[in-house]
Amino acid sequence: MADAATPTPPAEKPATTTGILAPGYSFTTLTDKIASIALSRRTPFVWFIGAGVGFLLTMMLLTALTWLLFRGIGIWGVNQPVGWGFEIVNFVWWIGIGHAGTLISAILLLLRQPWRNSINRFAEAMTIFAVACAGIYPAFHTGRPWLDYWLIPYPNSMGMWPNFRSPLIWDVFAVSTYATVSLLFWYVGMIPDLATLRDRAKKLWAKIIYGMLAMGWRGSARHWSRYETASLLLAGLATPLVVSVHTVVSFDFAAGIVPGWHATIFPPYFVAGAIYAGFAMVMTLAIPLRKLYGLEDLITMKHLDNMAKILLATGLIVGYGYVVEAFMSYYSGNTYERFMIWNRLHGPYKHAYWALLFCNLVMPQALWFRKVRRSVPWLFVIAMVVNVGMWLERYVIVVVSLSRDFLPSSWGLYKATVFDWATFIGTIGLFLALMFLFIRLLPMISIFEMRAILPEAKVREEEAEA
Amino acid sequence: MDATNDSRLAGETVRLSRAAFVVGLVALGGAVAYGTAHPDQFFHSYLLAFMFWNGLTVGSLAVLMLQYLTGGAWGISIRRELEAATRTLPLTAVAFLPIAFGMHSLYEWTHADAVAHDEVLLKKAGYLNAPFFLFRAALAFAIWIAIAWALNRWSREQDSSADHRAVDRKLQLLSGGGLVAYALTTTWTAVDWVMSLEPHWFSTMYGVIYMAGQGLGALALATLAVVRLSKTRPVSEFLGGRHMHDLGKMMFAFTMFWAYVTFSQYLIVWSGNLPEEISWYLARFRGGWGWVGLAVLMLQFVLPFLLLLSRRANRDPRTLTLAAALVVLMRFIDLSWMILPAFSQGHFRIHPTDLTVPLALGGIWAGLYLRNLAGRPLLPVHDPGFEEALAHGRD
Repeated sequence: MADAATPTPPAEKPATTTGILAPGYSFTTLTDKIASIALSRRTPFVWFIGAGVGFLLTMMLLTALTWLLFRGIGIWGVNQPVGWGFEIVNFVWWIGIGHAGTLISAILLLLRQPWRNSINRFAEAMTIFAVACAGIYPAFHTGRPWLDYWLIPYPNSMGMWPNFRSPLIWDVFAVSTYATVSLLFWYVGMIPDLATLRDRAKKLWAKIIYGMLAMGWRGSARHWSRYETASLLLAGLATPLVVSVHTVVSFDFAAGIVPGWHATIFPPYFVAGAIYAGFAMVMTLAIPLRKLYGLEDLITMKHLDNMAKILLATGLIVGYGYVVEAFMSYYSGNTYERFMIWNRLHGPYKHAYWALLFCNLVMPQALWFRKVRRSVPWLFVIAMVVNVGMWLERYVIVVVSLSRDFLPSSWGLYKATVFDWATFIGTIGLFLALMFLFIRLLPMISIFEMRAILPEAKVREEEAEA
Repeated sequence: MDATNDSRLAGETVRLSRAAFVVGLVALGGAVAYGTAHPDQFFHSYLLAFMFWNGLTVGSLAVLMLQYLTGGAWGISIRRELEAATRTLPLTAVAFLPIAFGMHSLYEWTHADAVAHDEVLLKKAGYLNAPFFLFRAALAFAIWIAIAWALNRWSREQDSSADHRAVDRKLQLLSGGGLVAYALTTTWTAVDWVMSLEPHWFSTMYGVIYMAGQGLGALALATLAVVRLSKTRPVSEFLGGRHMHDLGKMMFAFTMFWAYVTFSQYLIVWSGNLPEEISWYLARFRGGWGWVGLAVLMLQFVLPFLLLLSRRANRDPRTLTLAAALVVLMRFIDLSWMILPAFSQGHFRIHPTDLTVPLALGGIWAGLYLRNLAGRPLLPVHDPGFEEALAHGRD
């Protein structure tokens, strides 16, 4: 770090710590604070309510899916001409939400942004649970989920081979790679903390379970050195996935020629939208969590401010997408393209489109003001509005485009059935249930990475080098 | 540290600047002499020249705003190079005038008889008409010049005053709003000036491709300049291996972004295969243009990608210079591939003026750029992040 010629400044608080961790913590108190949530602290009453609601809604999801297997996808609202309804809308919505977790864990790690350290763990958990929820939809949308392995290209006696020109098959690879890498990244990143929990656990069964999960971690220099290499490699692998997954999802639409789907701007616009929706969800989770467990020292206003800025920036990119789409539909001079925008603005689903414009384009502009970015209630409201807005965006793209394409004689309206709603709300329940289990059982903030940003860590680093 | 410019540097820059002006003016004389006889050919080449040099200028403005917004050492290391480029905006604004006069040679939609017999062009006439076209161009230049003027002025205030917290805040705020304005202006100017050469064709990605290309070119030019300037004081006392590494990584990221958006547009048009969309690519794949496109792919993406992949190459001034020079050159080839096939549908045809006219405009542009560069201190020593950026390079 510092060579002999330039005198090192006195060991004051390094600039990078400003605002991302409240002062006054030491290695021990910080570890205590995070580990006690899983080990010793009393589970708050709100947790039981939240986990209970999540559990009940998960039961509803299972009921809806069982009935679906019994009766077939006719119980959903999809039909001609709207063959993709809630299920694809929800698939894209959930997959998008996952992206913020990967961005925080991989890209911000490579960019050496220390403020990510307190939010990356639960953001990654959010990614995995969101991808799990997303995966349910296409798997069941095939109608016969027990034959889903046909999607995988393997030599078989039926002479069947997937069409590699179809983005739908790219989706199979993109999403399964994404799920695998995210899970691996999350788990590998947790190993040192699992060892901490193992060492601090008082109960025998907790020692055994955390011990097995920690895979013999002893914290030796060799362990740490290999760990650093592994996490950098995984970050490198995950980085292209932030872009590729939603790019492929956008191709699912753009490769077709339906007006409203076939737009060349879709790939970057979808990726920005995914990060936008994902950060909104991270804020939706972070704001209640820090309140509930008193983590305001670790997830500070600086974190919320930074996330709000990313929300604003990605929201503006999404807004650019809307503007360019509308302009080009006029500029194309093409009857169908022009009708597409007219139909969004004045057609049967106009309320969805206007609401989407308000949620995604108008409301987030409040984030230009520092006062709003520093106000927790405002941030929570804006994050919720964006969550809704990004769901509406996918609804407008999927349903409105299909309901009125080229031939007026084959137009038709889509209406979600009670089973569509049950499945959708059911996956929100599954997501909540998994999230509540996670914060109860695992360290929701990375203990060792938080220790690394303590001023104490810097002093030891310098001592070691001297 | 001593931040005054080396006197030898100033002399050398002024000499270079004069040489560039002479080359530019001589080439311009030749081009104008040729142009009076063959106006159509002249304007075709002129549009290419204008798009290239104006793209570098406006791209520098965008990268300048990006570095104010995101902070970081990489931005401080190239700030003065970017600023010098943005101060050529009055020149590129004047350089737009020939296009205003040559509209009839360039754009089919200015021919009333052609529009009258074309249903699609009739539908677009509300947007594609001469007065509105000129108004939009004037508005874009007004916005760019206003932003560039304010950024340069405030940066100068930051240089001279001790307490510049208010200025720092203003710089950030304008950069945020300015980038939004940049995205919109670049999109409509790209549509107006180039896309409307083939007035039936449209693509929503088009503006993004121009933004990616302009950012890439501006970054490469600034990198070239700063590495060259690091041979003398004061940049020699500042620029470290890590700064170069950061610049290399930024270029790497931009070249990937450019490739990503370019390929996405192609894949979507290819898979849709609609007559009104695929025609744009057919004109650029047939008659030899396909080889140019392949060269753009290999030399603006694949080779820089490989060159900038390793840490050592990024920190080697010669490799970094090579990569940056390649990117600037390929920006020109890429724009030729985007623009020229519009004038010779399906045939590979380039004319000597396609080189001499860009050289003429480029000589004048480079002369002004170098004068701008020598006219101000080369390091923003009063920037709040300067000390940190200086230390960053020493590691």
